[in-house]
Amino acid sequence: MEFLHSILVKPFADMIGAPDFLLQVLWEGLVSGVLYALIALGFVLIYKSSRIFNFAQGIMVVFAALSLVGLHEKGVPAWLAVPLTLVIMLGLAIAIERVVLRPLVNQPDIILFMATIGITLFLIGFGELIFGGENKVMITEQLGIPTGSFAFEPFGGFVSIEQKDLTAVIGAVLLVAGLLLFLNKSSMGRAIRALGDDHQAALSVGISLSMIWVVVWFIAGVIALATGIVWGARADVSFALEVIAYKALPVLMLGGLESVLGAIVGGLAIGLLEKLFEIYWGQPLLGGNTETWFAFVFALVILLFRPQGLFGEKIIERV
Amino acid sequence: MKKLLSTTILSATFAVGMLAAAPAFAEDVLHIPNLSYRTGPFAGTGIPLMNGQRDYMTMLNERDGGVNGVKLSYEECETGYNTEKGVECYEKTKGEGIVTQPWSTGITLQVLPKSNVDKRAILAPGYGFSPMADGKTFQWAFNPPSSYWDGAQMLLSYVSGGNLDSLKGKKIALIHLDHPYGKEPIPLLEALAAKHGFTFMAIPVGLKEMQNQSAQWLQIRRENPDFVFMWGWGAMNAGAVNEAVKTKFPMEKFLGIWWSGHDGDMASAGAAAKGYRAISWNVPVNDAPVMADIKNYVADAGKSDTPADQAGWVFYQRGIAISMFLVEAVKAAQANFNTKTVDAEQVRWGLENLKIDEAKLKELGMGGMVVPFQTSCSNHTGHGGAWIIEWDGAKFNKVSDQLQADRAAIEPLEAAKAKEYADANAPWPMQECK
Repeated sequence: MEFLHSILVKPFADMIGAPDFLLQVLWEGLVSGVLYALIALGFVLIYKSSRIFNFAQGIMVVFAALSLVGLHEKGVPAWLAVPLTLVIMLGLAIAIERVVLRPLVNQPDIILFMATIGITLFLIGFGELIFGGENKVMITEQLGIPTGSFAFEPFGGFVSIEQKDLTAVIGAVLLVAGLLLFLNKSSMGRAIRALGDDHQAALSVGISLSMIWVVVWFIAGVIALATGIVWGARADVSFALEVIAYKALPVLMLGGLESVLGAIVGGLAIGLLEKLFEIYWGQPLLGGNTETWFAFVFALVILLFRPQGLFGEKIIERV
Repeated sequence: MKKLLSTTILSATFAVGMLAAAPAFAEDVLHIPNLSYRTGPFAGTGIPLMNGQRDYMTMLNERDGGVNGVKLSYEECETGYNTEKGVECYEKTKGEGIVTQPWSTGITLQVLPKSNVDKRAILAPGYGFSPMADGKTFQWAFNPPSSYWDGAQMLLSYVSGGNLDSLKGKKIALIHLDHPYGKEPIPLLEALAAKHGFTFMAIPVGLKEMQNQSAQWLQIRRENPDFVFMWGWGAMNAGAVNEAVKTKFPMEKFLGIWWSGHDGDMASAGAAAKGYRAISWNVPVNDAPVMADIKNYVADAGKSDTPADQAGWVFYQRGIAISMFLVEAVKAAQANFNTKTVDAEQVRWGLENLKIDEAKLKELGMGGMVVPFQTSCSNHTGHGGAWIIEWDGAKFNKVSDQLQADRAAIEPLEAAKAKEYADANAPWPMQECK
């Protein structure tokens, strides 16, 4: 009985008993969710246009952030380091298309997936060769990102909102909105979607596969840079950032690999739910650190009922 | 006949050539492998340590021609702090190596049973399984100058003003990497909590959560502990310090173990983390003679990878101290066995008979850089104690006298866990100590 009480009653009583703390938990969950969605978007865009599961998305985050900080360390002002980093990411997109993807056109998906593992290993080695393995400090203030915090006292309690977290949320929302506009309203965006829907049909009407792949990998690079800035500002820029990409995997399972909306909703849902579960159930009952596995278990449960994910395409094949 | 003549001349030439080359082949070298990590998520903390280790060895080779005329061949095998890769590196380097330096508690635990069979000493300074202090049980393992349990007890003693009973009714949290290293102090802290009446809570941080510890720090906000101790590593340290700043947790209540007192990890929090403290068995002494020698013989000669501004880091100088431990063990073995090219078993004897006192440190040009300690057959840690260092916004400074662990509080658990380990791995070889 006591066990059931600790699962079914106490967590909710704690939420009601300390509503300011609940608000803080929800805010932190929202921030995490937005960041997960951002990482997942990088995966989705590439998968949508090329059916490639890009294992290199995590290391692209590291590479973009290290390029930005590395350029600034070389004396390049922050306002110039950002566009120069984008140029580097464009160069990377072109190189990947020319050297890796083009020779592998029409190869099975698994070959392309393995190729992205190769890209990951190359970028790890190349990044360490150029930038070294030491932690670097993100140029948060130089980029004009505010570093203070807003304090509120709702319900007689205390809620603190970091300005850089708020900036990250606003930045991510603007980036996603821009991305949706680009995908839905521009001719290039429509071409990307067309390619995602049907490769053969898209190619037959003159859509350039090479061009689309470069554009999509470049957009993934832009997302990687945004992700790197936001995550790097929370601690350091280091190769440890690569592992955060794995947080996107349950988001993709939940939202579906082809859906931009799925990445956003999935990211937010996992960010919020894993934080609530960790604080009100995981820490008191399971010793904490449930964030390591909660999202995967949650996504698996959803997959039991919707194998294609929340927003994935239901594939019906004639046999 | 002509063919025979040419064959004879060729053979003679080869033989003369071999004889001429003999001194080069026979050059005395001691192979010192290091299971390092300069890549991966923990590279930021590994690099300065490995740089310090390598620079000290290079300095000895350049300044003194090695140790008593024997060159030191310092060889790194990259593990990326990955236990499986670490075991592979151990297997790869154990042939020629006179010692193994696992550089991870996880790897140490894996190679611990192998060391008895392979007869290779494990040197794990300030890390590894704390009961390795018991030399009778762990004859091949050494963790000088202080173990994690020494560190945990000293931290408790420091925050309680020397009287652990004064912690009664208080709450102490341990935020730790969810890894064998991070979990290592938990048994002792639990035992001491039960004995002295304080509440202990462990807060694990997963590898993927190192840079997003908001859940852990929300727990700290909710539980409002009197003190938070940290057993962090790699990106976790910077993540925790930044979260502490963000949640406005009082820095005077936040203290780390020696692997959480790294200048590089503090850079992103900078002045905001002023007042953060860590316990450390070494402190930087930038004007020490050994530092001048390293500058002259290694850095200025272009033989170091260490950026000049990192030479004063706690971790860089800790790397130097660790190499010194090993070299002094080699010297002790050379003197005892009256041979220059000591083997792994002789180095084990050297590690068991290390005497690093104040006079020795001064003689080595390292006065004040590391706590003095002495190992023995039954004591493989030395229990030299540690100091408290405090972050002033730009660097760590020593802010305490030398602390000593209350060994009486640790030894019963140490003996019990050593026995438990030996029983679980029976038949486990024990050694007799006089």
